[in-house]
Amino acid sequence: MPSSNGRYYAGCDVGSTTGKAVILDENKIVSSAIIPAEIDPEQTARSVLSKACEKISGLMGTNDFSYLVGTGYGRNEVPFANDNVSEISCHALGVHFCDPTIKTIVDIGGQDVKGISLNDDGSILEFAMNDKCAAGTGRFLEMMSKIFRMDLEAFSSLSLEAKNAIPVTSQCSVFAETEVISLLSKRKPPSEIAAGIQASVAKRSFTLLKRVGIRPKITVTGGCSKNKGLLVALQKRLRMDITPLPVDPQLMGALGAAIMARRKAGSITQLTINR
Amino acid sequence: MKNKILYYLVYSQYWIITWMKIIPFILRHGLYDTVRDLRRYPWLWIMLKVNRLLGKFGKGRSLRYQQAVSILVSGIVSGVTDMLGNIFFKPDRLIIHEDMVPPEIFKAMGLSTFMAELNGIMLPMIEPHAMEQYIDESENMGIPPDICSLPKSTMGLFLKGQTPPAKAMVTSNLPCDAGMNSYALIEQKLKLPTFRLDIPYHFKDERALNYFTGELRRMITWLEENTPGKMDWNLLRQICEERNRMVELEMELWDLARIRPAPIAGEAIWLAHMWFFNLFPGTRQATNIFRKILDLGKQNLAQGISAVKNERFRALLWNPPLTHFIDLFNWAEHAYGVSLIMDSMTFNRLPFIDTASEESMLQGLALNIMNGPMARHTRGPAENYMDDIFYIHKQFDLDMLWVAGHIGCKNTQALNGILREKCREAGLPLLIIDYDLSDPRIVPREGIINQIDHFMENIMKTKRLDQKTKAA
Repeated sequence: MPSSNGRYYAGCDVGSTTGKAVILDENKIVSSAIIPAEIDPEQTARSVLSKACEKISGLMGTNDFSYLVGTGYGRNEVPFANDNVSEISCHALGVHFCDPTIKTIVDIGGQDVKGISLNDDGSILEFAMNDKCAAGTGRFLEMMSKIFRMDLEAFSSLSLEAKNAIPVTSQCSVFAETEVISLLSKRKPPSEIAAGIQASVAKRSFTLLKRVGIRPKITVTGGCSKNKGLLVALQKRLRMDITPLPVDPQLMGALGAAIMARRKAGSITQLTINR
Repeated sequence: MKNKILYYLVYSQYWIITWMKIIPFILRHGLYDTVRDLRRYPWLWIMLKVNRLLGKFGKGRSLRYQQAVSILVSGIVSGVTDMLGNIFFKPDRLIIHEDMVPPEIFKAMGLSTFMAELNGIMLPMIEPHAMEQYIDESENMGIPPDICSLPKSTMGLFLKGQTPPAKAMVTSNLPCDAGMNSYALIEQKLKLPTFRLDIPYHFKDERALNYFTGELRRMITWLEENTPGKMDWNLLRQICEERNRMVELEMELWDLARIRPAPIAGEAIWLAHMWFFNLFPGTRQATNIFRKILDLGKQNLAQGISAVKNERFRALLWNPPLTHFIDLFNWAEHAYGVSLIMDSMTFNRLPFIDTASEESMLQGLALNIMNGPMARHTRGPAENYMDDIFYIHKQFDLDMLWVAGHIGCKNTQALNGILREKCREAGLPLLIIDYDLSDPRIVPREGIINQIDHFMENIMKTKRLDQKTKAA
């Protein structure tokens, strides 16, 4: 569907595991895409933007955007972006656009976890991040699913079948792997081990969130927001509900970047959420 | 081009001045003995590279700011050569002491001193990786890796046998458990007569003050019995009076720093305090350096020149400075226009000493130690930590608080949780830099910069001044 005035604004979130893109016109989200990350962040950005462009007739590629903002860990490697903005700011912007009542965000990505506290106006009050350790990130869950010989989607639902959770005590992902293998060899119920894994990730996120202050409403963004078992474990740990977002929470960084692109290009029209 | 020429002129001038202090020392010590001691104390090689500080502190700064920090470096070199002179030329009077005991008394007793923590503080400033071998030595000998790396560095130095032979050792129960316990190991290793100052917990209490003053008297008696030192009360008075003059000048310097934009900032304030008040208080040379720095600041003020060319933000640094990234604020000035105005190690609420009597001098010194930075911050109620921060925030018109979140400091790690809440309430932007005080392997320079970049971009909503953004 072509834009009424032919102006498009894009946000591209180059993450460690996936590349995400969101394209806006003057009023709404017109396209989005998520692809697995390639080795070269620039190539990831090109591929995901091309995929998003395919859905819009007349939009050929990156040169057709009125403004493009890059974000994510690979944001500095996107030479064709007009600007790049930290993923923390982009997640905050994306979430505030989707639900201005949200005050706390936990972004669980492929290789890091971030806790973000928002002001009423959506500006960032404080943030904390763990980018040193794989434990508690998407990479950790990916590793765990491999031990269970499952894909991530199946693994994320496995813990929902459990009546109890077997605690996985190792803080380090390498040691946790050994612990989980040992538990499986003792023929402990896989669903209960999976529940223990989810609880350990939830606990790490909770500890990080405590640094920035936990205030309702709270939401989860990043790839791990699609992990149902983790969301349940996190709700249990937080003792509060996690607010769902009207837009795919994995796209929040890219959406925030696209909104930033609109602002930088001087667009003043009202943007609405197309549910 | 003109600025570059001026920079190199000032750099060369102070490069020559510092070597003019080092070379006579080497000649006095004798070439043979110098070579022998360089082998015995390998850390001397790093100290010889002290001129690196001229570049780290001076590069890219405005003329008078560069001059101020260069004067400071030349003062540091004088201090080091004096200290080495004490070690090599007066070994019979040498005592080893901890960093939180009053050096004024030792000087008044005619004792030579070697502050045990000095290497752990100074060497990483010159060579960031300098302390790693000492930290490893401590850990290999069974010291827990999760304690503060400064006592680990100090213990490693002693375990490697790289400290000068001394007559006695004086330590205290400050500033933390790790620091205090490290002296048990050092005492065992050196088998030296050791005196431990017992500094009471309730330091705002008069009874506690009287108790600690008594402790200082007990220390003097002990030193007179165990070393050749004899107390000269007149000399102590002169030292305290000179120290008070230094304090007066420092207060004026703080007044300058209160002005926005500040005509003087950074190391000219914090390092000047840390070096001269902790190591060489009450010396005429130290007072002169403060006077010269103050004059340069006043000249800047008269001409409407700010220390930082583009002062956009004014910062308060909490906790000891990042020794292995000592040019952090020179970097921050250029990257973001962040000017370091005040820090926790510099600010002292009770700096003057009453020299009317022996008792009043000892009480003044006792108050200084008991209420000194770190002492009151890491012991006692959390209010000591919080009140200072928010008082300084107001007094110095600051925009943000940077906490050097040394992972080995359990006391401040615990306090930082409360600090986060207080800063949120007060609307004071807070950056807690995760790092290790003496070990850059934990979080290297790039990791520290990364944390600052995130904070400046996301919280302060500003981009780096030293990186060109892409054209739209």
